[in-house]
Amino acid sequence: MAKKSVLLVDDDAVFVDAVSAVLETRYEVRTAANGREALAAIAAAPPDIVVLDVMMDHLSEGFDVARALRSSEASRAIPIVMLTGVDEVFNIRMEIGESWFPYDRYLQKPVAPETLLATLGELLG
Amino acid sequence: MRLTGTSGELHQVFAAELLDRIAWFVRLRWAAGAALLAFAAAAPRVGMPLEWGRVWLVAVVVLAYNAILHALLATWRRSDQADYRWLARCTLIQILIDLAALVLLVHLTGGAASPFLPFFTFHMVIGTIMLSARTMSAVAGAVWLACAALFLGGAGPLGHLPIPLEMRAAVLGALACALGFTVYLTDTVASRLKERGVRLFRLAEELRAKTAELEKLLAEMHAIEARKSHFMLLSAHQLRSPLATVKTSLDVLLQGYVDPASPRAAGLILGASERVEGLLRIVGDLLELAKLREAAQRAPWTSGVNLAQLAVDVADALTPVAEARQITLESSYDADVVLARGVPPDLEYAIENLVHNALKYSRPGGAVHVQVRRSGEFGVLEVRDQGIGIPPEFLADLFVEFARAPNARRHTAEGTGLGLAIVKEVAEAHGGRVEAESRLDEGSTFRLLLPLHGGRTQDPRVTKSERRVTAFSE
Repeated sequence: MAKKSVLLVDDDAVFVDAVSAVLETRYEVRTAANGREALAAIAAAPPDIVVLDVMMDHLSEGFDVARALRSSEASRAIPIVMLTGVDEVFNIRMEIGESWFPYDRYLQKPVAPETLLATLGELLG
Repeated sequence: MRLTGTSGELHQVFAAELLDRIAWFVRLRWAAGAALLAFAAAAPRVGMPLEWGRVWLVAVVVLAYNAILHALLATWRRSDQADYRWLARCTLIQILIDLAALVLLVHLTGGAASPFLPFFTFHMVIGTIMLSARTMSAVAGAVWLACAALFLGGAGPLGHLPIPLEMRAAVLGALACALGFTVYLTDTVASRLKERGVRLFRLAEELRAKTAELEKLLAEMHAIEARKSHFMLLSAHQLRSPLATVKTSLDVLLQGYVDPASPRAAGLILGASERVEGLLRIVGDLLELAKLREAAQRAPWTSGVNLAQLAVDVADALTPVAEARQITLESSYDADVVLARGVPPDLEYAIENLVHNALKYSRPGGAVHVQVRRSGEFGVLEVRDQGIGIPPEFLADLFVEFARAPNARRHTAEGTGLGLAIVKEVAEAHGGRVEAESRLDEGSTFRLLLPLHGGRTQDPRVTKSERRVTAFSE
């Protein structure tokens, strides 16, 4: 069976490299450094799951990507894991007026490698 | 007391008060008219001279013009054009009519022997309170003359009692004294009260102005606090992200996800080390900022600080950085820009920060111009670049801790978001300020304005509110 694919989106190249090393043990890993690259990569070839940082160039760039994914028929079913340095409460505060949180899991950095693998394993079945 | 040299608003307050008093005066007159009618009806029945019954005539006149005044008062209140002088004139006319009625009343009720004579003093009191002592002295004189003419002129037929001339003269003398003293005493008390009123009003006015100023300051502070807490939250990300990267890299290495001997492992270690360096820079800047805020500079105040020399030193030190980035670093200096007092290491830190920023946000091939000049009482250090610029909506937050414009973030990961907050703090500690102008994609100009003779003489926290950081966009 072919490996499932993960798109890892984060603007910190070192973090991306470290997490990639973990994910590569089970998945085919692609990476993007910002929201624009992420959407382009998904449009080119939809991954099985997306792991998103929240704050990149813009404060809530990760959420923008997640919303774009959920708004499109083609990408609606792709599970989304937020993996980010800010806590969920802060994000909810920034998103005041937004009752729709378009993600499946919220993990705060730093996350233990086994936790990340377990979360992805659960979402991908 | 006349209201000379008082503000228009004060005049309005007095006008409003005068209007209230006129209203009170009108109410009082209703009572007086009614009392007169009662008197006219009762007098002949209780053995007073029959002629005193004619007092009803005066009562009717008084009630009639009071009705007119009552109607006018309602219009004045509505019209809201309560000009003090005009109202004072109306009051004077009322008092004159009242007094004329009173003279007539005295005339009808026995002249020098009239029981109504004491009522003159009553009007003198009211008049002096409402108008002025000078006006009322003249009025008193006129009243006295009218009485004298009546008492001495032998207008006997109108019910005057047969009183000897000497007695009438004595009554006139007493009347003169009574009128004069009433005006004088009332004025003494009333003018003191009026003065106090004016002082109170001025105080209230000052208080209002101060309160408004304080409220404005408070609102400003709230806004700054709100922005600060916003950026503090951002700083959580700024601190946590590199820490998370370090932790994850170490976990990945320790748990054997990457071969320790591989180039990838070396890359992770190098990356973690870089992140730690960045964290150290942030912590260093935070400490710097805290120290400046606590007014505990790294170095003591020095007299005769040559701003141009500091700028030359900074430019020399940063020339290699400029060359490495292929940026031309130009400079021009006025030789005699010397601050009376200053903390050289702090100033150097601020200048370095501005020049370094200019280099950091310039594109290869661009130029950065550093200029030191004298402008009036200020030494001005200007750093101009042709770099990426600052989004206009971000200019206001430029000097707030941890604030970094999105385009700055995109341009370079380097930068703690604290540099400009430190520059601002240094400028303010020197009694100066920092300004920024920018056009997106065309470049920015930062200007450090430091007073040549106004180094700090007091605690910076005391004078902080007097200084303003101006951030504006062209």
